[in-house]
Amino acid sequence: MTNNSNRIRIYTLGGVALLLVLFLINISVGSIAIPLHEILAGLTGAALSKRSWEIILFDYRIPKALTAILAGLALSISGLQMQTFFRNPLAGPYVLGISSGAGLGVAVLLLGGSAVGWNLMGGSFIGIWGTILAASTGAMLVLILMSLTAWKVKDSMTLLIIGLMFGSATGAIISLLSYFGGAEELKLFTVWSMGSLGGVSKEQLWVFFMVCVIGIFPVILFVKSYNAMLLGERYAESMGVNLYQLRWAMILSTGMLAGSATAFCGPVAFIGIAVPHLARMVFQTGDHRVLFPASALIGASFLLLCDSISQLPGTTETLPINVITSLFGAPLVIWLILKRNFSRDF
Amino acid sequence: MKKGENILQGRDVAVGYRQGKAIRWVVKNLSFSLQSAKLTCLLGPNGVGKSTLIKAIMGQNLPVKGEISYKGKPIGQLSPRDMARNVSVVLTDRISPGNLTVRQLVALGRIPFTSWLGSMSPEDEQAVQKALDATHIGYIENRKVSEISDGQLQKTMIARALAQDGKLIILDEPTAHLDLVNRLEIMQLLRDIAHTQQKAILVVTHDLDIAVETADEFWLMPCGGPVVIGRPEDLILSGAINQLLPDGKLQFSPTTGKVQAIMAEETIPVDGPEEVAQWLRMALRKQNMLPSNALRLSVTKDPVSFLIYRKETKEQFYTIEETLNALQLE
Repeated sequence: MTNNSNRIRIYTLGGVALLLVLFLINISVGSIAIPLHEILAGLTGAALSKRSWEIILFDYRIPKALTAILAGLALSISGLQMQTFFRNPLAGPYVLGISSGAGLGVAVLLLGGSAVGWNLMGGSFIGIWGTILAASTGAMLVLILMSLTAWKVKDSMTLLIIGLMFGSATGAIISLLSYFGGAEELKLFTVWSMGSLGGVSKEQLWVFFMVCVIGIFPVILFVKSYNAMLLGERYAESMGVNLYQLRWAMILSTGMLAGSATAFCGPVAFIGIAVPHLARMVFQTGDHRVLFPASALIGASFLLLCDSISQLPGTTETLPINVITSLFGAPLVIWLILKRNFSRDF
Repeated sequence: MKKGENILQGRDVAVGYRQGKAIRWVVKNLSFSLQSAKLTCLLGPNGVGKSTLIKAIMGQNLPVKGEISYKGKPIGQLSPRDMARNVSVVLTDRISPGNLTVRQLVALGRIPFTSWLGSMSPEDEQAVQKALDATHIGYIENRKVSEISDGQLQKTMIARALAQDGKLIILDEPTAHLDLVNRLEIMQLLRDIAHTQQKAILVVTHDLDIAVETADEFWLMPCGGPVVIGRPEDLILSGAINQLLPDGKLQFSPTTGKVQAIMAEETIPVDGPEEVAQWLRMALRKQNMLPSNALRLSVTKDPVSFLIYRKETKEQFYTIEETLNALQLE
């Protein structure tokens, strides 16, 4: 591990610097132009020259940038765990059905009512917390189903296929609900499913942050086991790795990280699958003690960048975040597949 | 050579696997022991339960009757970490950690010893270096695993098992998919390691020829029959080794040390230096040429030539092909 430790050090420092720059760029762009020196002054504690700028900066842009950082790292770390655990380069939070589970929860909340004639959204008392609660419940439900299956099924490949089937099944139920749902609710759901980083308040950000901290804990605890998993389950077992514990750690951690990210921001596509590959490519290592922080850094930077682009600098329009991540993520994954033999990538 | 100590012992072992509620017993009434400084080869046809047996030895959760003990301790009482520190394996599973270097892969063998974060102590580094040296792969230690050959990868996996530093190493068909040179090299490497580092090494293999040349002990698992354990040389002389081969078709020849098809022993007599004569005889047997009174054959070595003596004539040829053609004209 010594021969490229210099490379790793330089890239990590570079990554942190890049993250800071992207954070600055992210909070400087938006529909209202705020001069950069005002933002820098604001960050160092000085008052901004306009009260409205201060509200925009501290109540909107900074929470949104922090949300992007948290969601980016949460999804990337989930993706890396899944790819290593399932020994499958195409695994990600989508694959275990966690994102679709969250989607189903929200769909039931927004569309289910109107489908049977109730009007749950009539009053806005449910609001954002309702969505978050529904998404978390949906994600956790799929997760519990997956855990029960994981307990029965020993083979990871089978588990992965079952995850895909859960995803398809929840997708079908969502389609069904959309078919019967009212036009108004359908629009609300569609907007949620496009993803948004802007809807997270300061208090919710704290909740998100705490969930992420708890979710990362199992990763730190099992980082050595993930290295052993590079050789597959049987070798890992022969090196004393408790697969049963590792499986549960992976499920709980991914559930919390990807589940909360989806709940707060909607299903953000491609981060979970693409970022771990980027991390492996840039840092040229298979060591998870490097790959986990690297994925977190790259994931956070990637989502900050996507969000900055979605602001369409120079205009007052804002695109849904999912449009940008998919637009950049899909070609990235295709390029990765074409550029290098995926099976050699681990 | 000093006598090895008992590392692994099995008494009246039966191993099976679960089929629904029922248990199918694959291996029955097996008693064995593995000693340090010995290379043991487990041979037998496919489906006879070799893999099931080694899984049981590795301590995987299988229905086991009887007792398997490691250095006198039943393996069921050893924790996974203790097992990992004492028994390491080389499996047939395809691995693809292309982003690891050879040294990093070997270092994975230290996982049972390192702290929860996996930082390597000087002893760990030393064990890795020793494993790299023993397998002679130090010169590729910084190459990516995806860039090395199959033979080098197999040596790397053996080095990883060595770095795990247990007394017992189990290898499941380590020479499959390798060419002849690599097969010989790997098996000789394993014997050297067993002898110099006092390891007990158990190799599951189909490579009878090479196993005969390298192993200190054989476990033969024939279909249906009881397991036969002994020194390969003894098993050859007693003919027990033929239990591995299908009846009436093949046999292990004590003369050549090779598995051969059972062919008509009788053929046209051939005189001359044996190293040339045996090949002509083999060719004759393949063609089913029976002896005849009117014919005698002889060979010379320098230069290689083949002579056909008939009643009055004598013909000389320089290849077996020409000789056979001349004989077949009759």
